[in-house]
Amino acid sequence: MKRYLLSALCVLLAYLGILGPFTRAMEQKPYIEKIGLIPSPRVLQAFFPDFQELLAASILSKVILYYGSLSEHLDQPGKIIYAADYPAMSRTVHAALRLDPYNMDGYYFGQSILVWDAKQYDLATELLEYGMHYRTWDWQLPFFAGFNYAYFLGNKKKAAEMYMRAGELSGETLFKKLAGRYLQEAGNTRMAIDYLRTLAKNARNPAVRQTLQIRINAFEAVLAIEQARDQFTEELGRAPADIAELVKGGYLEGLPVDPYGGTFYLDENKQVRTTSKFAFAASHRFSDGSSESSPAE
Amino acid sequence: MTIVAVTMKGLLRDRVLQGILVAALIFLAIPSISTLSMRQVPELALTLCLSLVSFILLLLAVFLGGVSLWRDVERRYTHSVLTLPRSRGVYLLGRFAGIGFFLIGIAVLLSLVTVVVVSVVSANYPPDRPISWMAVAAALSFDAFKCLLLVAFAVLFSSVSTSFFLPVFGTIVVYLVGGASQQAYDYVSSPAAQSLSPAVRQLAGILYYIVPNFSAFDLKVNAIYALPLDPRTLIMTAGYGTLYMVFVLIIAAGVYSRRELG
Repeated sequence: MKRYLLSALCVLLAYLGILGPFTRAMEQKPYIEKIGLIPSPRVLQAFFPDFQELLAASILSKVILYYGSLSEHLDQPGKIIYAADYPAMSRTVHAALRLDPYNMDGYYFGQSILVWDAKQYDLATELLEYGMHYRTWDWQLPFFAGFNYAYFLGNKKKAAEMYMRAGELSGETLFKKLAGRYLQEAGNTRMAIDYLRTLAKNARNPAVRQTLQIRINAFEAVLAIEQARDQFTEELGRAPADIAELVKGGYLEGLPVDPYGGTFYLDENKQVRTTSKFAFAASHRFSDGSSESSPAE
Repeated sequence: MTIVAVTMKGLLRDRVLQGILVAALIFLAIPSISTLSMRQVPELALTLCLSLVSFILLLLAVFLGGVSLWRDVERRYTHSVLTLPRSRGVYLLGRFAGIGFFLIGIAVLLSLVTVVVVSVVSANYPPDRPISWMAVAAALSFDAFKCLLLVAFAVLFSSVSTSFFLPVFGTIVVYLVGGASQQAYDYVSSPAAQSLSPAVRQLAGILYYIVPNFSAFDLKVNAIYALPLDPRTLIMTAGYGTLYMVFVLIIAAGVYSRRELG
């Protein structure tokens, strides 16, 4: 017995000794942020017949963790390290929703990534309409779809239909009023801010909330310029030449800052645009002006 | 003492219950894991709880059902029991019933743990739709029922086999095939399968009626998302399961009564 105890103790000491260097070596190992491939939903359904909902949840958590690891660089706008693999994320979310078409995390995340960043408006709306067959009680799906139709796809008729449905399901008269207002006004920016605020209020994931808040800040800056432009036009009977004229005339308190690192300007139709196009640049841009291209994926 | 009681006592003596309780410690992690969800924390808690219960009951069904009769022969219990004035068929059914009651007891215990865990999670993260405890109870009951049917298959394989390999792996195969049968049938009936030969489609249709349909017993999605249940479908599923189980047990008892145990 004593012999066994002694030898076990020696091995334990050696283990404790190697633990430090081993942990350090693992920390330094390069970690490639990849989303990887998952098997086809049909195969997963065949091998795990009772566990589809669990599989869907675990696939979605994989996508969310992947996206979260990318978003942690947003505290330094303009210094984003990787461009996200949007096609892979979209495929993965679709696969998860094939396994469990009731999973709200899938629709919420699908809407978040497909629309603003990947610009896949039709795909996102199609996904939401697929979800509406299953989650027949959920007002959020027609709410998101309504926004897509109004803001991106320019189909105000379908947008109003979706907002009405959201209104009926939620009992919120606000949505019904929105349906009416968005048909009449051309106030796209205000609609976008309302929509994003609703999303941000209910967002529990810090990375997603941060992404949304940055976009809200950008659109609030745009709204301020639009309001100043409209006031200028009303008072002076002509459109301003550029944003600097609005600042000079006292309609704007200083040049609004674009959180995406671009510069706001007025295009030939006097619509407010930005050189960043409301997205972070794919390459590094350091404050000293030097740059470095992003690593290959 | 009846064979049923002896079986259950044996399982308790084998510390199976303690093993289950250790596995059930995973339930403690479920409230924290559920918070990873963005929009559906209580639904994720339900998913995790129901999947864990499913998994534990599946393991019990496969291993208890598959190993029990084999072990009796190995340890020569069968030889002493069979000298008593009881038919072999009654002995086999007694073993099945003992394992079945034990499984049901475990299912009840794990269901209570599920209720506690999900209640705790939904107290901190109220669900959008109220939890349908009726659907949760139905999901857990039908899951246990499905596992009883698997035990019946395990006992059937044990009645023909001399080792535990066929009962254990055979039951696993039955589980996988039974889980996929509805999906395969739907595919073969769909327009997408028109390119397959008529013989293949005919065969698939016949196999669908022979192989057990386990997906009918999977009510998890109703429990997780509080979807309505159709009482008529549930009654038919229960009837289907009962008849199938009784048929399998009759075959098993018949085979076992004629078997050479020397």
